[in-house]
Amino acid sequence: MTDSSVRSDMAEAMRIAMLRANPKLSRFDPLPRIICHDEFSRGHCGWSQLVGNYENDIGTMLPGYAQHTSAMLSTLAHWDAGSHGGHDSSYALKIATRPKKGAQNVAIKRLTFRKRCPIRLEFYFTFKPEATELKLSESDVRSVGFLFDLQGGDRDDDSQRVMPHIRFLNALEGEHVQKWQFKRHNAEFTPIGTSRKTLSHYHLSPEGWEDIPGGAQRLCYNEIPTKVNWTYLRFDFDLASMQALSFQCNDRAFDMSGFDSIRIPAMKNLWCMLNIALFAETDTDKRVFLYVDSVCISGDF
Amino acid sequence: MLPENITAVVARNERWTGQAASEPHEAGWAREAIIFVRAMKEPIGEQPKARIEISPDGIYWIGEGSEFALPAEKDSIATARISHFGNWLRVRADFGDGAESTVLVTIHLKA
Repeated sequence: MTDSSVRSDMAEAMRIAMLRANPKLSRFDPLPRIICHDEFSRGHCGWSQLVGNYENDIGTMLPGYAQHTSAMLSTLAHWDAGSHGGHDSSYALKIATRPKKGAQNVAIKRLTFRKRCPIRLEFYFTFKPEATELKLSESDVRSVGFLFDLQGGDRDDDSQRVMPHIRFLNALEGEHVQKWQFKRHNAEFTPIGTSRKTLSHYHLSPEGWEDIPGGAQRLCYNEIPTKVNWTYLRFDFDLASMQALSFQCNDRAFDMSGFDSIRIPAMKNLWCMLNIALFAETDTDKRVFLYVDSVCISGDF
Repeated sequence: MLPENITAVVARNERWTGQAASEPHEAGWAREAIIFVRAMKEPIGEQPKARIEISPDGIYWIGEGSEFALPAEKDSIATARISHFGNWLRVRADFGDGAESTVLVTIHLKA
C-alpha cells in the first residue's frame, strides 16, 4: 500500500465516522460532497413552487403547471391526533394537491452542477390523503415521486437535457397498485406566446409511465389516514454518462438496467442545470399530501 | 439565524365565482401574515368582501374576523394583516350571480 492510498483510506474512514456520529446525517449515506442537506425546521430550504412558462399573458401557462401551489412547512397536524411531527423535528415539507382527481403539485429546487460526476438524492418521505373520511383511504393517493432536470455544460459535445423520472404508483382508478415506475417518453413541446423564445412541456402528464422491473413494493401505510411512517429513498445518477446508477427504497434495491430518462436536445439557456423536483398526485376528488423530512443531495467531486 | 419568511402563491390567475376560496395553507410556524389579492383581469359585477378564515385541521373553516374589499379594478390590490391564526389560513369570498374576479392571492409569512 502506498502512503497516499493509506491517507485516502484514513480520510474516508474519518469521513464515514464523522457522518455516523452526527445525528443529523447519520441516517444518510452521502457521497463525499454534500451539495445540500435540507431540514425543514430551518425553513423551506429552497424548495419552491414549480411554475410553468408563460409569455405576455399568465394564461398561456399549460394547465398542468397552472394548478401548482407553494409547498408548506407542516407539522402534519390532524383533526384526531394533533400534530404528528416530522422525522427529526416538528416540521416537514408538505406538497399538497388540489381536491380534484388527477390533480398534481410539484416542489422544485433549482441548482447547477460544477462537475459531471455521480450524484445521490436521499430523502425520507411519507404520503397521505386529506383525512376527510373515517376510512383507511389507502387508494386515494395516485402517486408520489421525484425527478431530476439536467443538462450538460455549454462546452460539452454530448449535451442533452435529461430528465430521469421515478414515481411510486400507489393507486390508479381506485386499484391499490403499489409499484415503482419510470418515464422516458416525453410530452410534446408547446410554443408559449409568439416570440419563439419560450416552449413548455408538461412532463408529468399521466401518459408514458413504464414499470421498473421487479418494482412492486408494499410500503408501510399505517392504519388510519392520520398515522404516518417515514420511508427512506435513494437514487444515484451519473452526470457524466447521464445514466441512472441505482435506486433504493427502504430495504429494496431495484434493477435499473432497463431504466432510461426523458432525453431531449439541449436547450439554449439551461447549461449545467441540476434541478430536483418532488411531486404528488391524487386519484380522487380529495387533496393528497407528500411530506418530506429531510433531503440530502450529494456528489462525488 | 434570520427568522424564516416566505411568499406563498396560493391562487394564481384563478377565476373566482360563487363561493370561492384559496387552497388551505399551513403556516403554524409564522407569527404574522399579510395576504394580498390582486385582480388580474377587470372584475365583473359587484365585488364582495373577502374574509380571512382559520381552521383547526384544514378541513373545517371559520371566519378569523378580518374582512376586506376585493379589488374593484384590474391590477389593483387588496390586503389583510393577520397576527393570530394558529396553523391554517385561507381567503374566502362569496360572489353574487354574474360577479367574478380573476385573482392572484399571495400569503406573506414571517416567523
